[in-house]
Amino acid sequence: MRLGVLAAGLMLGVGTLTAQMGNMNGNAEKAKSYVIYDAEPQIVPAGKRSIVEMRFRVVDGFHVNSHTPKSELLIPTKVDLQPAAGVKAETAVYPAGTAYSFSFSPNDKLDVYAGDFTVKLPVVAKAGQHEIDGTLRYQACDHAACYPPRSLPIQVVFTAK
Amino acid sequence: MKRNALVLGVMIVGISLMLWAGWHNLRERHIAMQKAEANHVVLTPAQPSQSAQGDDSEDVDPGAKLRGKTAPAFTLSTVDGKQVSLADYKGRPVLVNFWATWCAPCKIEMPWFEELRKQYAGQGFEILGITADVDAGKDVIAKSAQKIGVTYPILLSTDKVQDAYGGVEYLPMSFYVDRDGKVVEATTGLSSKNEIEANIKKIVASGSTTADVKGGE
Repeated sequence: MRLGVLAAGLMLGVGTLTAQMGNMNGNAEKAKSYVIYDAEPQIVPAGKRSIVEMRFRVVDGFHVNSHTPKSELLIPTKVDLQPAAGVKAETAVYPAGTAYSFSFSPNDKLDVYAGDFTVKLPVVAKAGQHEIDGTLRYQACDHAACYPPRSLPIQVVFTAK
Repeated sequence: MKRNALVLGVMIVGISLMLWAGWHNLRERHIAMQKAEANHVVLTPAQPSQSAQGDDSEDVDPGAKLRGKTAPAFTLSTVDGKQVSLADYKGRPVLVNFWATWCAPCKIEMPWFEELRKQYAGQGFEILGITADVDAGKDVIAKSAQKIGVTYPILLSTDKVQDAYGGVEYLPMSFYVDRDGKVVEATTGLSSKNEIEANIKKIVASGSTTADVKGGE
């Protein structure tokens, strides 16, 4: 297990460690979490606008709606972050999704994230270590079925030098 | 003589200071070790009950438990506020379909349901769409159903009903109930239109019916 993940696990609690995070080799067997968060600590320059990355992996065999799904009724993937002392955060920047359609209806195109995806957070941070708590809201499906929306607790840990 | 005594005294004091410093350092290290021990956290793998993983419910075909059994009874509100019971459709073949506004595959098959409902209406076939949305309001559900183009009753689910039908852990889920009220087939996930029609044909054809019996008994 990576050091960053271990540190984040200590902060978030042992109970959620294996459920929500881990190394990026997690599998979906008997899993009710379909997205894994890579809580690797990062280093950014202090006092300068810089990018902190939130790296996620959708478990193999599943996909989640992108931040901009094709239908207003579909639940977009979204990060909600709490304010953190000494950190000015701008709006998170989401990656573009990829087109996906179910085999029985190839003309109905969806916009999804599968595999790895990274949400970028522009920040200006004072010197020191920072932790931003938040959640990733997502709704996952496999090749034929969809699962209720879920919230994944995340903690962005970075040092400004 | 005096000078020797002074040197000896200085040496004794120096050695004493060195011994005290050594002992003090040892004591500080011991205290620090104790503090570190107190703050030490041992990470152990979460038990299934502690985590979001390890739930077996998704490995089991929920429909398997209900096949061949009487469909669990329910009375639910429609989006218009009417009360609808499964018992209201006694003697008729019914498709009980669980769906949600956020479920993309549900919205693919629902127009097929609407089409097949019209096709088999003559045999008394009906569809009850039970929405498993927990957050969506009635208006959103009604608008969604209208947008999809379905005219069959849309009912608002309850936990009790979902539990009775196997937990409804994922969507869509469909239960094909024959005229005797038995679950003939249960499917999870998006099926092909042909598979859906084949299942409808099963419930239209099976079970006792007074409407379709010819020649009496």
